[in-house]
Amino acid sequence: MSVELDVFVGNTTIMDEEVYQFWLDGYTVNDAVKVRMEGGVLEECEASAEVLRSDTMDQYRTFQMCERLLHSPAKLANQLLFQIPPHRQAMLIERYYTFDGVFVREVLGKKLSKGTKKDLDDVSAKTGVTLKSCRRQFDNFKRVFKVVEELKGPLVENIRQHFLLSDKLARDYAAIVFFANNRFETGKKKLHYLTFQDFAFCAGQLISNWTVGALDNMVEDMDVDLEKEFLQDLKELKILITDKDLLDQHKSLVCTALRGKTKAFNEMEANFKNLSRGLVNIAAKLTNTKDVRDFFIDLVEKFIEPCRSDKWTAGDMRLYLTHYTNSAHILDTFKHQVVWDRYMGVIKSCILKMYHD
Amino acid sequence: MGSGGSVGKEAGPLKTLLRQHTQSALEQREFPIFTLTCFPPGFLVHVGGVVSTRSVKLLDRIHNPDEPETRDAWWEEIRQEIKSHAKALGCHAVVGYSESTSICEEVCILSASGTAAMLNPRFMREGCLDIGGSDHRLSRQPHPGMVGSERGEGEVSSTWLGFEDASPPSCGFVHIPYDEFNMPFPAQLTYCYHCRRQKVPDVLFTTIDLPAEAEVTGKGCLIQARLCRTKKKAQGEVNATSISNLLPFMEYELHTQLMNKLKLRSMNALFGLRIQISVGENMLLGLASATGVYLSALPAPGGIQIAGKTPSDLSYDQHISTIQKRIDDTIAKNKELYNIHPPECIEEVVGSPIPDRQRSSRLFRSTSESSDELSELDLSHGKKDAFVLEIDDTDAVEDIQSLLTDAPIPAGFYSCNTEVMPGIHNWTSGLQMFTSVRVYRLSNANLTNQGLNKIFTDLCENLLKSLYFKLRSMIPCCLCHLNFTVAVPEEELIQVAVTAVAMSFDKETQQAADRALTRGSGENEEQLQFSMELCGESTISNNQPTAKPSGVPESAMVHSSRAPSVDYGSFADRCSTWLELLRLKAHTIRRGSVKTSRRTQLLAHSVSSSERCSPLPEGRSRSLRSTRSLPCGAPVTVVKMTPLSFLPGTRIVKYLGIINMFFIRETTSLREEGGVSGFLHSFIAEVFAMVRAHVAALGGNALVSYSMKECVFMENPNKNQAQCLINVSGDAVIFIRESDQEAIPPLLTSRQTSGTGADGTT
Repeated sequence: MSVELDVFVGNTTIMDEEVYQFWLDGYTVNDAVKVRMEGGVLEECEASAEVLRSDTMDQYRTFQMCERLLHSPAKLANQLLFQIPPHRQAMLIERYYTFDGVFVREVLGKKLSKGTKKDLDDVSAKTGVTLKSCRRQFDNFKRVFKVVEELKGPLVENIRQHFLLSDKLARDYAAIVFFANNRFETGKKKLHYLTFQDFAFCAGQLISNWTVGALDNMVEDMDVDLEKEFLQDLKELKILITDKDLLDQHKSLVCTALRGKTKAFNEMEANFKNLSRGLVNIAAKLTNTKDVRDFFIDLVEKFIEPCRSDKWTAGDMRLYLTHYTNSAHILDTFKHQVVWDRYMGVIKSCILKMYHD
Repeated sequence: MGSGGSVGKEAGPLKTLLRQHTQSALEQREFPIFTLTCFPPGFLVHVGGVVSTRSVKLLDRIHNPDEPETRDAWWEEIRQEIKSHAKALGCHAVVGYSESTSICEEVCILSASGTAAMLNPRFMREGCLDIGGSDHRLSRQPHPGMVGSERGEGEVSSTWLGFEDASPPSCGFVHIPYDEFNMPFPAQLTYCYHCRRQKVPDVLFTTIDLPAEAEVTGKGCLIQARLCRTKKKAQGEVNATSISNLLPFMEYELHTQLMNKLKLRSMNALFGLRIQISVGENMLLGLASATGVYLSALPAPGGIQIAGKTPSDLSYDQHISTIQKRIDDTIAKNKELYNIHPPECIEEVVGSPIPDRQRSSRLFRSTSESSDELSELDLSHGKKDAFVLEIDDTDAVEDIQSLLTDAPIPAGFYSCNTEVMPGIHNWTSGLQMFTSVRVYRLSNANLTNQGLNKIFTDLCENLLKSLYFKLRSMIPCCLCHLNFTVAVPEEELIQVAVTAVAMSFDKETQQAADRALTRGSGENEEQLQFSMELCGESTISNNQPTAKPSGVPESAMVHSSRAPSVDYGSFADRCSTWLELLRLKAHTIRRGSVKTSRRTQLLAHSVSSSERCSPLPEGRSRSLRSTRSLPCGAPVTVVKMTPLSFLPGTRIVKYLGIINMFFIRETTSLREEGGVSGFLHSFIAEVFAMVRAHVAALGGNALVSYSMKECVFMENPNKNQAQCLINVSGDAVIFIRESDQEAIPPLLTSRQTSGTGADGTT
């Protein structure tokens, strides 16, 4: 005897969150049944493996039918096929668009192209995330990217509206889109210690301070492209390192302020010129697309690594960056205060986030 | 004992009078048959039992297959037979009647069954339902006032009494309608455990829903008998004959199974009995479903005794006693499970039942009748009569096995195939209507009857288990109106379709209500007052459901009495009378409460708009910078669906009409659509969606009395094709929440100013 056909359809669509997660994670029906059995749901409900299998199959079918709706979540609320309570819809959408931290680290900053998709099996093998799940997550990134590409208005808001995501998730997607658009390098070995959340935070800083949208919020691509004029203006900061007097003056101001306040003072004093050169050079080079891509690697190489080898604490870092930024205002021959603040504000918060003791 | 006898004698002439009276009202109708399953209190005077008939016909023998004459003649024959069965039970009418067919190639089984009953002739007169019947809700809202016996008694005595033979309505319908000295079949009679004046049978099988006035001990449960019988492949007459020969045995087997399972659950009555026999090329399937209950007015069922035929060796005896122990344990467990604790003392007062020992010999196979044996076995069961199962052949062993292998229902679940479960009142609004379809392929071509039985039983049991598992999040809950449909679509295929509704209830308040109910009439009076005040206003909703089901047979009956044979020419005539009746009623309703009706509509509107199926806040503009915009149209209305006639915790304010739709779906890319399961899954989902859309388009927010009447599925995997036909129907309605309703009647607001409803919702 074999079951030829087995369906269960409810007027209100029944969805088990646990099974949904298995489906999202790319488990096969058999694997999901196995895990569920181990999970003890059987003893709880006096069901047999057969019952569990039938239930899992049903749910998988339902999810598959729902999947095309989840591709444009607004449709989920307006379709007639499945009667799903609002909070369930929200759950379905949120979970569908949730991604694995390990997976996103692999594709962050890469072009969301067919070529990258072809390499997903390597990513899957490396991260332990099933290929099916990798594909879903990748397609989600790509879909969000495609939709917001052509929209005006703030990036996070656009994502939240079109994909009905929570604020947190919408911000994460904004970061992914931002990174994919600017092709930031995140895969280098030196950057491996950084988590997606570190990058997402930096992306948020960059989006709200350095993009076109930071000034005008009705421009196309306002939140994904860095403002050209600002990048051009950054070149002017070079005076801080090319002018010997200014550099010395800056150093003495910072050192005066720091003296006695930190154990790492000697190292700070010794390295000041190097560090300052590093930061200002990064600023000056940002007009080059290639150098924009290397923004994070430069920050790590030119600033974070030297500090780390000198064993600065996070507190030291904060102290140093605050005084380094503020002291520039006292320099009377330095005229680019606005650009300096706009630059250093982001740099400071990014470095603080990226500096793990 | 003596006084009881005298009353019985007195009741004799009264009964004949009553019979004459009602006979005149019903006799002249050709078919005093009602398809309704629930009635206003007092309508059913007595219920005799289930009457059924089957007929095997050859479809290729019809001379003019396009003309209905031959088929009409077949059905007429069957209805006549049903009518005469009812007469044999001393009844003049049949209620809860249904007809069905099962066709395989050219052979067709026509089946009809119903419940023989004596009806109150007062209801038969034209228009009487308008006057008195309107305050009796047919909608089976488990209203606390309706359940209490006190209220029912009061009303019947005032409204219906006059010629009534004074039997209290809570037990009247179980009293035998036939003459106890001239019984149509051997049955064991006792005095009614409720009124102690009239005779009642030891068990009662019916096809109707449990009457609202009936007093039930504990809770009920779904009882199923399943049977599979192989038959040789044959053609034409030979085939028809072999089917005809099998049918009586199948009915008998199913009946035995039902009876055993009923005893095992310590219950004494079945409601909503539906026996389906499906014919396939090489087998016959029989499935009987019913809801078992313990009617307080009937005697307590005895236990089940196992008796070995040849008490030869010790191990055999041991085997017997193990089974016996298991049965006893199961009965004890079931008593706990269904909360069946009838008061034991009554028996002493009434005395032992009539020593009619030849009971049930015709009904139950493997029943030992020897009184010696009985007295011997009775020791363990005290005064109660044990029901003896004799293991005389392998079949009986199988029976007992199947009796005990029915998996116990998981904790927190109840199930029934009637509208609601007796003993559960506090429904929450948690509701899940569902349809589940399974098709099994019998891979092994030459299976024995036992093997087939096992497969079929497992199939049904597994299906139920699956349902319980799926709906586990709704616990505590009851699966109501569980409707199984079996078919043999092809050789070696068995199809089972189930439609039901899972309704959750509140355990805390449930216990409180149980206590309140047992406390007596003090509470009831309060509730009565409340519902009476509602009456003036509630005509708008209550009349319509009353008018609808009762109006049809009412006028139909009247007309068929004028025109002696049912011809389709008079159909329009009948309809028009019915419509007129409705219009008249609607008119009075409109005149009565224009203001309230407008208010209810307003309320209904606000209800439907507040229950949108969307996680988005409403009324968002499409402008870009609005807080959140959506590129789509209006949100979707939530439409509830239920096979029942009501929605718990709500009141139906408007009936919008019947929805009856046929869908046919075909695919030529079966594999691509996820195989047969994927195909049917999306089809059923789409059928639901279309039904919901139709209801919403009519302005409704629910579909009640939903049923899937047809689900025919055919596949040809080799050609990558499948076809499916589905027929669904139901009534589109507008409902409002009961909590909102309190705000409507002005009568109430003056007194009960809880005042939460009106401001919040309108």
